[in-house]
Amino acid sequence: MGLLSIIRKIKRKEKEMRILMVGLDNSGKTTIVLKINGEDTSVISPTLGFNIKTMAYNKYTLNIWDVGGQRTIRSYWRNYFEQTDGLVWVVDSSDLRRLDDCKFELDNLLKEERLSGASLLILANKQDIQGALSPDEITKVLNLEAMDKTRHWRIVGCSAYTGDGLLEGFDWRPLDERAVTTMIAL
Amino acid sequence: MEEQAPPPPLPTTTTETLDAATQRKHAAMLDRLSNLQQSRLLSHKPSPIDTPPSFESTQSFLSRFSTTKLAIESDLARIRQSPSDPNPIPDPKSQLQSLSLSIAGLEKFVAENSYFLPSYEVRTCLKSISDLKQTLDHVTSLVIPKKKFSFKSKPTKKGPIAPTSPTQTESRNTEPTKVGSFKVPDLPGFRSKESEVLTKVFKGGGLDEIGEFTVSDLVDCEVRLLGCLRALFVHRLRNCRVYVGPVFGSVLIEEVEGCVFVLASHQIRIHRATLNDFYLRVRSRPIIEDSCGVRFAPYCLRYDGVERDLEESNLNEETGNWANVDDFRWLKAVQSPNWAVLPESERISAVEILNPDT
Ligand SMILES: Nc1nc2c(ncn2[C@@H]2O[C@H](COP(=O)(O)OP(=O)(O)OP(=O)(O)O)[C@@H](O)[C@H]2O)c(=O)[nH]1
Ligand SMILES: [Mg+2]
Repeated sequence: MGLLSIIRKIKRKEKEMRILMVGLDNSGKTTIVLKINGEDTSVISPTLGFNIKTMAYNKYTLNIWDVGGQRTIRSYWRNYFEQTDGLVWVVDSSDLRRLDDCKFELDNLLKEERLSGASLLILANKQDIQGALSPDEITKVLNLEAMDKTRHWRIVGCSAYTGDGLLEGFDWRPLDERAVTTMIAL
Repeated sequence: MEEQAPPPPLPTTTTETLDAATQRKHAAMLDRLSNLQQSRLLSHKPSPIDTPPSFESTQSFLSRFSTTKLAIESDLARIRQSPSDPNPIPDPKSQLQSLSLSIAGLEKFVAENSYFLPSYEVRTCLKSISDLKQTLDHVTSLVIPKKKFSFKSKPTKKGPIAPTSPTQTESRNTEPTKVGSFKVPDLPGFRSKESEVLTKVFKGGGLDEIGEFTVSDLVDCEVRLLGCLRALFVHRLRNCRVYVGPVFGSVLIEEVEGCVFVLASHQIRIHRATLNDFYLRVRSRPIIEDSCGVRFAPYCLRYDGVERDLEESNLNEETGNWANVDDFRWLKAVQSPNWAVLPESERISAVEILNPDT
């Protein structure tokens, strides 16, 4: 393939970004996606497979893959690793009992070779609930500081219930930059 | 390069333009979101999402899905035969590439429709796609010769199926369930009790002040949670009766045995439950996972003000969802053996709790 065709390929594709959204069941992934898309969130069933939402954001088209987090279907997550530009890990900050489960699944995910280049956005959701852990506390619990130094990561507190913090999370630069480098590497 | 037929026509998804550059738009959007939330709280009109999917749309989805799937399968079979064919396919590599795109398109098609599809259809489609991907990998390895001079040690290292190595799974079992050195604060709840009646009344009109509540490690207890609450966690209960007023968010129930639950909530997830009866009012579809012998009936709790509380939590409408249970462990179209509708003759009559304020 000549240089020109490579460049054309970059041009054609660079505007599309694939974002994989995972986390334990009940953490609020589907609610978050519907909320940022301005849709009704009053009836949401636990996700049996996965949903995709396409949204225009800045100059990018985001394809957000919201994958169900029930234990039985966590093994499907790996079907979506390929071509993931940005990884969003959603935490129910009020579910203290399952934080070790949450840490275990996240650690596992980050070992995944195919995700080694993806930027990681952690959404500490349900901040509106009294007694929810703050983003700083979640950082400690999940031991995020110990993460591989090469990975871009960030944690943002949010509430899908009020909408607070959601846009701040998605407006994070490395999610953008990462997309561009992926395309150049192609 | 030959252009392959495009993936099945995909329904257009909602596209929302967010201009992150301007704070103003952010603010406007948040405004809109909160207005939406407000109007939702005020009106009980069913949204488009509430309307049940028509049988037709499921049918037409399935026929489109299977047509595309068959086309992909037959192409794969053709390419697979190709090397031994007298007239081999000219450029199998690019054909395989476009098949890979078709599979991705099909996957997207399922995803976009999974909001309305019955659960077992989603599961079956997911399985089919995963099979297609495997066949594609297999055919690719047969048809496209491997590079001669590559180092062999690397590719063998990453096998196709190495999701979680056994060592990781084991270490999980041996490790105590501690989360670093972090001390988890105690949240409101009833914990570690035996043979007691535990009552809590949630007050306050504004839902904003209502937090979550935990009920865990109880044996032979009766739990009464009256009024509205936002979220409820239930963990490790044996032979208990649990009566709960409307929960505005979700209820998560794990490891319960021999209990009776009367619950109203927007979302209910039940994990590792054996031999329990659930009397539910629920806006979405309740789900069970790793459970057996669980039975379901409609909500039947009465206390002073229950109607008002249900209305305030948007749970006044009987959706009939108490009987629409999804078993995540059950793939088939036939009824799961793990749950059943509780026969009317065996149901308890209404549970009435008097004077909740005392
Ligand atoms: N209070 C509060 N509740 C939330 C928030 N976000 C989500 N929820 C509730 O949490 C429950 C679970 O939300 P979902 O969006 O279904 O969770 P999910 O992560 O998609 O779950 P799976 O599909 O099973 O993986 C729902 O009852 C939501 O209403 C939040 O920010 N605050
Ligand atoms: Mg979901």
